Amino acid sequence: MNVRAQLVMVFNLDKCIGCHTCSISCKNIWTDRKGAEYMWWNNVETKPGVGYPKKWENQDIFKGGWIRENGKLRLRAMGKGPTLFNMFFQPNMPKLDDYYEPFDFDYSNLYKAPPGSDQPVAEAFSQISGERMEEITGGPNWDDDLSGSQVYAVEDSNLEDRTLVEDYGRMFMHYLPRICNHCLNPACVASCPSRALYKRGEDGVVLVDQDVCKGWRFCTSACPYKKVYFNWQSGKAEKCIFCFPRTETGQCNACAHSCVGRIRHVGVLLYDADRVEEALLKPDDQLVAAHRQVILDPRDPQVRESARANGVTDQWLEAAEKSPVYALIKEFGVALPLHPEFRTMPMAYYIPSLSPVISSGADLHELAIHGTIPLLEKLRAPISFLASLLSGGNHQIIAESLQKLIALRVFKRAGSLGQPVLESTLKEAGLDLAGADKLYRLFTIGGYRERNVIPTQQREDLDSYQRKGASGFGILKKTRGPK
Amino acid sequence: MLNNFIFIVLPYAALALIIFVTPYRYFSNRLTWSAYSTQFLERKTLFWGINPWHYGIIPVLAAHFLGVIFPGPMKAFLGNERNLVIFESVGLALGLFAVFGCLALTLRRVNTPLLKQVTFASDWVLLYLLLAQSLTGVYVATFMRWGSQWYLHTAVPYLWSLLTFNPQIEYVTDFPMVFKLHAAGAFVIVALLPFTKLVHMLYVPFDFLKDPPILYRWRSK
Repeated sequence: MNVRAQLVMVFNLDKCIGCHTCSISCKNIWTDRKGAEYMWWNNVETKPGVGYPKKWENQDIFKGGWIRENGKLRLRAMGKGPTLFNMFFQPNMPKLDDYYEPFDFDYSNLYKAPPGSDQPVAEAFSQISGERMEEITGGPNWDDDLSGSQVYAVEDSNLEDRTLVEDYGRMFMHYLPRICNHCLNPACVASCPSRALYKRGEDGVVLVDQDVCKGWRFCTSACPYKKVYFNWQSGKAEKCIFCFPRTETGQCNACAHSCVGRIRHVGVLLYDADRVEEALLKPDDQLVAAHRQVILDPRDPQVRESARANGVTDQWLEAAEKSPVYALIKEFGVALPLHPEFRTMPMAYYIPSLSPVISSGADLHELAIHGTIPLLEKLRAPISFLASLLSGGNHQIIAESLQKLIALRVFKRAGSLGQPVLESTLKEAGLDLAGADKLYRLFTIGGYRERNVIPTQQREDLDSYQRKGASGFGILKKTRGPK
Repeated sequence: MLNNFIFIVLPYAALALIIFVTPYRYFSNRLTWSAYSTQFLERKTLFWGINPWHYGIIPVLAAHFLGVIFPGPMKAFLGNERNLVIFESVGLALGLFAVFGCLALTLRRVNTPLLKQVTFASDWVLLYLLLAQSLTGVYVATFMRWGSQWYLHTAVPYLWSLLTFNPQIEYVTDFPMVFKLHAAGAFVIVALLPFTKLVHMLYVPFDFLKDPPILYRWRSK
């Protein structure tokens, strides 16, 4: 057993209202500069939709992630040899058109325009060339709220039945906020010829060393989630840094902190690094179960001992015990990985969204057990769609998660309305009273420190004399002080 | 005078710059150490420029270095007439391939408005210099036949004399102007290397071939 700690984010899609506040707070802090205008380390997509960059889920185009071959994992795009021969022109790299030409508006025209018969307008200009843009043809959420659904949403590769988005009676949508997943088996790291990308041992955050990156661009397409971006100004790759300067001091990531719907949970998971590859060799529909097996119980004394041997501190172990993400992912099994079949073992998990039942024709409001629990097949968001998104096509896993969420809702609703509370509702979905209470607190009234349990990095405890005495507060470079 | 400048002053100036400026840039400003790709902004013409250029110029450059490092074996190999003809033909073809690529890259910079933001004076200097260099190279290969053979008996001993700090320029002073331009161009390119994006040449990624796929960094280890 090789136990390591990982900071993980869980998104409750049921609560996301698609306000993009997370994207804005991220942009204001990290990517509000030249070369990074088009980068949305955090973005929010409407599903069904093509996403950002367009069609990122279609690996026939960008060739991201891993595939199984002869009982081993290998990068889908190319091996190491071909990497050397494709360095000059990277064939799978997403181009500017797959994102959009970043733009701003010339507001000065509003007060500088000479007198005339027309009202002056703020004209759009390109943030790359600075030239005036006749027409804006794309943006980071161009298909927001199913706009242009017959052009964009129909292209969603998770949709089995494409007529769904054209039929008002059956149409559905939910939002999908995305950050870098800080995967356990990151394809971007594996694809980098310069070895500029790395995974931090202590908290699992995946970073690009800007000093080492030479701009070979393989990471931009190797990441199946397209969360590594190419800075056209600096000629190097950049990505979400999980707000490590904030999490190191115990603060929540900017996106999670600013979330209006409080849909995000941040916490620690302990996992067995030696079993990651073996788990990823399982068939698609067993991958979620394999994920859960790799994640270890922080209360298990053997796990704790092994974690300590790897340098996981007591503070981190305590945080792992209280971890909201452990509860949601493993204990209750309601949070699921995004596209586990890309085989990077993503460490951002999603609680699938509930949706209203389809009300069409004769079977208006057809409900099942107890009169209030809808049949899962009658939910607007088809299980097959959610399964393609969150469980590698396994319907059973989605059903289990949805059943728990529905049971919890029905149970709590009855309680607050003073109706008879049926514990059997919970039992049938695999929950108990204590579990229901814990989930209820996490989803609703749990405060900042309950939804997010982030231990600090305790840098100051490690070598405070040397840090302060030998290098002052300019701590970026290693000192040559006594060991 | 001109001979002294081209064959003594230029090479030593270039040598001094590459030896002192390269580590300085490496240690003081590694953030600018990049291949500085523009594929993101324009990729259609790039494909027809960047691939011919690199696949043409790398073997030709390697052949130049082979001659300097192993003059003996190269002389023996090219003593065979058939080998010499094949070697020269392949070299000329690769040279033309590189010229085509460099031309495409230059025209691409001229014709793509979006690239103006990422094109600096150094890019124009390099593009024209490399274009001129590959053109003079192709000229020498075409009109001064069997260059791969006489190179080993003239330029190679001269380059060795440079490295031993005993420059014997009489090996090369009687060549026509175009050859001198080719030599001067080479030294200027070497001199510019540490100041421009050409530094990407100094980094050939071979480490990753043997590394495990996932790289970890531990603060504590």
